Amino acid sequence: MNPAPGRARGLALALTFFRVAASTELQYRVNFLLSLVQSVLAVGTSLAVLGLVFAKTDSLGGWSAGQLLVVMGVYVLVGGVIRSLIQPNMQQLMSDVQEGTLDFVLTKPADGQLLVSVRRIEIWQAVDVFVGGGLIAVAAVRLPGSVGVLPVLAFAATLLLGVVAIYCFWLLLTILAFWVVRVDFLVELFDGMYQAGRWPVTIYPGWLRIGLTFLVPLAFAVTVPASALTGRLSGWLLAGTAGFTAALFTFTRWAWRIGLRHYTGASA
Amino acid sequence: MTQASTAVQVAGLRKAFRVAEREAGLRASVRSLVRRQYRDVLAVAGISFTVAAGEVVGFLGPNGAGKTTTLKMLSGLLFPTGGEVLVLGHLPSRREHAYLRRITLVMGNRNQLQWDIPALDSFEMSRAIYRIPSAEFRRIRDELVELLEIGDQVRKPVRTLSLGERMKAEVAGALLHRPEVLFLDEPTIGLDVTMQKRLRAFLAEYNRRYAATILLTSHYMADVEALCKRVVVIDAGAIRYDGGLRELSTRYTRQQTLTVAVGESAPDLSGYGEVLSTDGGRVSIRVAKAETSQVAARLLRDHAITDLTITDPPVEDVIEHLFAAGTPAP
Amino acid sequence: MTVPARRPPPLRRRRGPDRDRRLTGLPGFYLTVMRTAVAVQFQYRTANYAYMIGMVVEPVIYLVVWARVAGAQGGAVDGITAGKFAAYYIVWTLVRNMNIVFTPFGWEERIRQGRLSAMLVRPVHPIHYDLAYFAGWKVVVVLLWLPIAAVLTLIFRPTFDVSALEVLVFLVAIWGAYLIRSMLLWVLGMVTFWTTRVSALYDIYFTAELLLSGRLVPLALLPAWAVTVADVLPFKYSFGYPIEVLAGDLSTRELLTGLAAQAGWIAAGALLVAAVWRVGVRRYSAVGG
Repeated sequence: MNPAPGRARGLALALTFFRVAASTELQYRVNFLLSLVQSVLAVGTSLAVLGLVFAKTDSLGGWSAGQLLVVMGVYVLVGGVIRSLIQPNMQQLMSDVQEGTLDFVLTKPADGQLLVSVRRIEIWQAVDVFVGGGLIAVAAVRLPGSVGVLPVLAFAATLLLGVVAIYCFWLLLTILAFWVVRVDFLVELFDGMYQAGRWPVTIYPGWLRIGLTFLVPLAFAVTVPASALTGRLSGWLLAGTAGFTAALFTFTRWAWRIGLRHYTGASA
Repeated sequence: MTQASTAVQVAGLRKAFRVAEREAGLRASVRSLVRRQYRDVLAVAGISFTVAAGEVVGFLGPNGAGKTTTLKMLSGLLFPTGGEVLVLGHLPSRREHAYLRRITLVMGNRNQLQWDIPALDSFEMSRAIYRIPSAEFRRIRDELVELLEIGDQVRKPVRTLSLGERMKAEVAGALLHRPEVLFLDEPTIGLDVTMQKRLRAFLAEYNRRYAATILLTSHYMADVEALCKRVVVIDAGAIRYDGGLRELSTRYTRQQTLTVAVGESAPDLSGYGEVLSTDGGRVSIRVAKAETSQVAARLLRDHAITDLTITDPPVEDVIEHLFAAGTPAP
Repeated sequence: MTVPARRPPPLRRRRGPDRDRRLTGLPGFYLTVMRTAVAVQFQYRTANYAYMIGMVVEPVIYLVVWARVAGAQGGAVDGITAGKFAAYYIVWTLVRNMNIVFTPFGWEERIRQGRLSAMLVRPVHPIHYDLAYFAGWKVVVVLLWLPIAAVLTLIFRPTFDVSALEVLVFLVAIWGAYLIRSMLLWVLGMVTFWTTRVSALYDIYFTAELLLSGRLVPLALLPAWAVTVADVLPFKYSFGYPIEVLAGDLSTRELLTGLAAQAGWIAAGALLVAAVWRVGVRRYSAVGG
């Protein structure tokens, strides 16, 4: 059995997990309808708020209504990615550390971090990805001037970087479980904090803005991709985003190794 | 075949844990915030043994003896504090993928199969992780499913299965990659007697067919009696006994049981030794080993005995003595 | 294992009458359950804190947004200044905590795990257990909330203009809010007796509540037709009204009519609970739970 090169293997593994999860979940069509209803209600509420705000003013912190609509679309899309791909895995990891079933992961001949990050998927939360995507498309079309190819590419790139940043953040929080064990309250904490991503972080006061950029990378997850699509992205910001995400990913990998060493007693 | 027919080599293996000490109460909690007090617990206190390829070894001991800790060090889950351990020529704590592909871990009452999906789907995931070629995978899988008799159960979500069926599916999933060493931590715990027997029969058959090395921990004597010719008794982190099961009884007990059939008359035989039971016409008497032949001769001389057997006390009693006394039973 | 058993230390005799026994019946029940709730929730204070901090993000966001809008519009939106918005949303955090009650989503599990059956066997209507437990929880919550409120006040500088009457009415109103929402969500939860496919219904209810209670935006900012609708619905009395008592300027007449409306909704809620419960329990017993 000749093992294929590492990264291709990782992707193949992830795809297998996805395929298995999807085929089981897709039989439950009612869940699809329910997810859709939920998603529509949530979006409706957000639109109502947006409508109320723009009944009283023309621009918010330099952002127009149309641009804020893009932000909302990205918020919903990324929210869908988090709830379908990232959160289920992190919650599973938390419970594995608590119940001792992490041992099963560690005795598998595959990278532990990879395994715990891709094995679970909540397919129906992915409805938000499509709803968000639709919202972005509608908003982008209604923006003054057409959206060029470059902004779209930049948008795709920053979106990917943003998702990676949020994944790293979530994993770092979950790695705390190696020391603290009971970290389930983190889920609620994060859910509450994610709400801050509805609006571009530039409207928040300085200290909050910094917190929402570097502590909880909501800026990178939502504001930056939205900026890319609405033509507010400078080359510097793009480079900065890439650099920050790369550094965060490296740091997360290191933290995972440290966490494992603690778990297995390798660090005396 | 590699040069060493030794599968497991352990020398002076030690594991110490630092446990934070904390008493109950508000004042103690506050105090512990400022100054943490630690206690060193020696879970495994320097053990040595070797296991040959294809052997089935049972680790017996009370709860907290260090059996599971030892198993975890052998499977790479825990980093030893001292000593050396080599399994299949690898250092387990390195958790090299090449090593992990050759072993498997099964823990009783802890599942690795995913809860909401059929076992077959979890098997698919194993196939991807262990990189098993499709044709070989299908053959092994079908064989295991047939041997364990879970053909119908593997298509239903795991959460709908009973405890016994779930355990069988777990075991099937754990063996798909044809590991050379099986680490089984209390595999029959919580199962009903019939299921325990089936599982033991399966493991024995598996070992016979594929010469896989099996290391199993248990506190059920029946597991060990059914599967293992060799038993390692661990207590308080140290090995009390390492050898054959039969020899355990013979070496560590200085008593034997005489069972005689005396017919309907049921005379009082308490003068010959401690009467254990009187069942119909059969009486069991416990005597000191040194006197067995004398007592037997006397019985045969004084009574009309139609049958006489001499047995060692059940291994459970021996082990209980071993733990309680800390030294061989009197 | 032949480990000699140690005799447990003898129980100490309590001197004097057991304090709880002095109050019997329903008040005694409430006291006991509340005490238990306080003890348990105090143990979970980290989790409680984490939840509260996460929850604070929501009002802070709206506060910032509206403050911005006010700034852009020359200081006030519809007469509401940034300071007033801050006051609204800070009081919001307390009122929000006060109206957290047993979620209707929890009914399915409660029934499935047999806990409802256990409650039915006791000579107390199960709603008292929920009311008492969450009331006790509120004690812990208020204690944990005080430092958060202090921090928020320091950062956002709310402008308050409170009279003694307003404080008094507020203290009553927050408990009124608690009762109203307890009743209404209990009724919602009881729908589970008939079907477990309730999530769509609940989502619609909560969305309506979100928009028309004063949770998302101060009711004063809603278009006129929405304000009219909100007036006839109970949502505002479990959220917007208590907040306005402290953070807004309601006239004495408005304060008192608000209290009367709360009383009315509590009564309506209680009647609804009683009615639905009677039918629901019959169905539950028939179906076997």
